[in-house]
This record gives sequence, structure tokens and C-alpha cells, in this order.
Amino acid sequence: MASENDDMGLAMSSISMFNKSPNRSDPFFSTGWDPIVSQSESLGGSSMASHYHLVMENQGISGTSHVSQYQSNPSFVELVPKLAGFDAGNLSQMPGPFSLPQCNQIANSRCPPNFALDEHRISEALVGTSPNGKIQKRSPESDPLLRSCKNGDEEPGMDLSSEGCHGPREQAGKKPKTEQNSGANSRGKQTAKQDIDSSQSGEAPKENYIHVRARRGQATNSHSLAERLRREKISERMRLLQELVPGCNKITGKAVMLDEIINYVQSLQQQVEFLSMKLATVNPELSLDLDRILSKDILHPQSAAVPGFGLGTSSSHAFPPSTFPRTISGILNTNPGFPPLPQTVLENEVQNLFQMGFYPGSTMDSFGLDAGRLKPEM
Amino acid sequence: MNPSSLKSRFTTRFLRALTKINAHKPISSSSPGPGEIFQRYRRIKVAADKSMAYSVRSRRTWSRATLWRLRTRSPRSRLATHARRSWVKTRSTRAASHGKEKKEDGGTVEAEELRELVPGGEAMDLCNLLDETAHYIKCLTTQLDILDRQECTSREL
Repeated sequence: MASENDDMGLAMSSISMFNKSPNRSDPFFSTGWDPIVSQSESLGGSSMASHYHLVMENQGISGTSHVSQYQSNPSFVELVPKLAGFDAGNLSQMPGPFSLPQCNQIANSRCPPNFALDEHRISEALVGTSPNGKIQKRSPESDPLLRSCKNGDEEPGMDLSSEGCHGPREQAGKKPKTEQNSGANSRGKQTAKQDIDSSQSGEAPKENYIHVRARRGQATNSHSLAERLRREKISERMRLLQELVPGCNKITGKAVMLDEIINYVQSLQQQVEFLSMKLATVNPELSLDLDRILSKDILHPQSAAVPGFGLGTSSSHAFPPSTFPRTISGILNTNPGFPPLPQTVLENEVQNLFQMGFYPGSTMDSFGLDAGRLKPEM
Repeated sequence: MNPSSLKSRFTTRFLRALTKINAHKPISSSSPGPGEIFQRYRRIKVAADKSMAYSVRSRRTWSRATLWRLRTRSPRSRLATHARRSWVKTRSTRAASHGKEKKEDGGTVEAEELRELVPGGEAMDLCNLLDETAHYIKCLTTQLDILDRQECTSREL
């Protein structure tokens, strides 16, 4: 079911996202939405819903993720106005502003100014997005259209009479057959859109929110777009992880990268265990450690041996509160090897020292709970 | 998250816990028995994990899961783990039924492993899982850093 194009004929060539596999025909996405499922049943698409579930499983996509992702993700709503513009039959009319107010609020700044969508197409977009236009924001406006024209996606199970609803849309008539002739239809539609594509590609870069546009020759089904969006997010996060995990610059590939990440996390966890075991075997003295570790960690993270520590450790117990800042600054001043510390670090240090029980009264907000606990220990 | 602030938060908490552990244990200069060491090791490890999780509070799923796990350990272990497992199972099965049919898909096999590694990752989709993993790695490295320093300092004494 390589529906290169959905019934909407979404073939915006302005490419802003990765070019993923276009063979994502089925509107799995909609099934992940609880409102979609309920609405689908209300519109008689229960079979479709089941089909969607099947499709979703086949495609290995987590519907719940989409629900969580997209219901809270306004970018998906932004997807819809884009989809609304995709009308194979009326490509010439595509440029123009969105007439739907909701679309407007989302897409006004982003849609290319020459986008000319009318309610008709927006309803189509809604319909196309989910089998029965289950976008909650859109439903009020498009409900009558949706209900009348149950023109879902290329859902073979859904033989909705769409011809009467969307006359000018030739793909409306093709909808039931889109699944079977998706390839041919899409190609036919895409050729018609290709002249628009070039014009659209110029406007695509204007949009700077997460808005996926179908590329040329790609499936423009709303679900494909959603899937592409999801894949893009995952790739983005994989890139971030690649930077975190050392030595993964050259790895390209999700599976290998995931393996590396898993190994790295495992090694980190083992190191934590190992170090804590090491600490267990050592018997450090209490008070000295505190000051030393704190000073070492926070004041001078780079070096392990700081001559100024003796000053702090020996005087830690005896110093009155007011002298602490002076002590620390004394440490700083006596040792020219210290890197110039920002004031915030110093404040943290002072606050931390306070926190450690010498001054239980003065605590940072997050440590307020723990201040009381420290007293009996010290 | 600002690593320095996370670091300082973790440092204070961990050191506090460490001093508490040291105070509990009688400081015996002679080599303590292996059981003692192991007990202490467990305590320190728990302290490290707990400090890290508390430093992150509930902002992250893995920290919530870690705190939950730490809280509901031995005293109420059976009930707690059973409850947790059933909850996790329902969520993960729900997630699984939607998308992870193909086990041979490269993304899901490793994702399963990752889920086991990252606390609280059992019931998360891949996208959020990767997010959590990134943060978890960052916190783990911070934790290791502090532990390392602590160990070095202790060794010097």
C-alpha cells in the first residue's frame, strides 16, 4: 500500500523535513487518538478503526505516542492547515490564506501568503487527516462537511460516498480506490502538483515551526506526515545522544547508535557501582572530607591537590558564619593557581557550606527540607 | 538543565548522605569484613542514586522511577513491586500493542534494552525514551564525576 499520495493530494514539495520512506499510506495516526476512535465509530468507521489498528501494528508505530505527542503538540494542528491546502484538483487555488479561523491562528504567519484555501479544502484536510476529521479543534467547523462527506483517507474499508461532497476534488471519487491505485493516482496528482511544488518550495523555509511538508514524490498522507515528524524527532534526539556518547560521531544508523548508547549507559552504571564500592572500602574522616570535597569539587574542579585546603579544613569548625566568605575568599586569594571563579560559584559554595550544617538556618530553597536533617548528624 | 547547578545539588546531597553513612559505621581502621563493606557499598550506592534523583526531583521520569524504586524497596517489597510491575505492564502492553509488533525491527529490540536500563523507561515511547536517556546520561556522568573526586580525596587522606 504505497499510497504515494493520499486523497488530499498533499504533495507540497517544499521540503523541510527528512525524506523518509513514503510508503506510509494508512492513517494509523488517527487510531491513536481516542477522540478519533470515538468519532470514527460515531461516523460509522468502526471497521476503519480496526483497520487502522491493524495498519498501525503493521507499521510498528506506537499510537499512544502519537496521542500523547500530537494531542499536546500544537504542531500537529499546524499540520492540518497544511494538509488543507493539498487538493489535487485545485492546485491552482492552493495559494491563498486560510479561511478557517483556527487554521488562521496557526497557519497565518506561516502559510505562504499565496495560499488560498477555503473551507472546502480545510474540511477535506480534516477529513484527510483522520478518517473522519477527528481533529478536535477542527471538528466544530468541519463537522457538517465531515459528516456529510465521510471522505476519509485512502481506507479501503471505508467506502464512503464522497463524490457528492467534494465535487471539484477528483480524488474524492478516487478515495475508495486510492488504496488500490494509490501509486497511479499519486503520480497523476503529483505531476499536476509539480508545477506548484516549485512555487511552494520557495515559501516553505518561511515556516519555522515544526511543520512537516511532504516532499516531492513522497506520501502526503497526513499520517505519513505525522510519521515523518515523529521520525524526525527521533533522529534529532539520536543526534543529541550521539554528542553525549563519546566516540559515536561516525556512527550513522539507528540500531548501531542505540547499541552504543546502551553500552554506554551500562558502563556508566557499572562505574557508579564500582566507585561506590571503592568508597565503601575507604574510611574517610568526616569533617575534613566535607570541606575538602566541597572545596575541591566546587572551587577547583580541575585539580586534585589544592594547597589552600588546609586553611579551610582546620578552621571549618571554628569559624563563625561571617568569616566563611572571608575564608573562602582567603583560599581563593592565597592560591593564585585557582581559576577565576564566578561569583555564583562562590555563592554556591558558601551556601553549600552553610547547608552542610554549620548554618542550618540559611539554606537554599531546594535544600530547605534537608537542613533540619543535618543538625543531628553534625 | 544547568550542569553546574545539578552538580552542586548532587554534591551537597551526596556528601551529606555520605557523612551520615560514615557516622553510622564505626570507623574501624582495621579492614572491615566483607559483609560490612558490602553493606556500606549498598548504602553508598543508594545514597548516590537517591541524591541524584532528588537533585532532579520529579522533573524526569527516570528520577521519579528511581525515587519510587528506592522508596518501595525491602520493607514493602512484595506489594510495591507487584503494584509497580502491574502498572508498568499495563502501560507497556498498551504501548506495545500499538506499535511494537515487529520485534526484528532494529529500533524496537534495542529500545527494549534501553528501556530496561533507564529507570522508568518501560512505558515510554521511543521519542521520550531517547530524551530521558540523554538526561540520564548527563546525570550519570555528573554522579560519576563527584564519586570519582570523592574517592580520590578519600584516598589521599
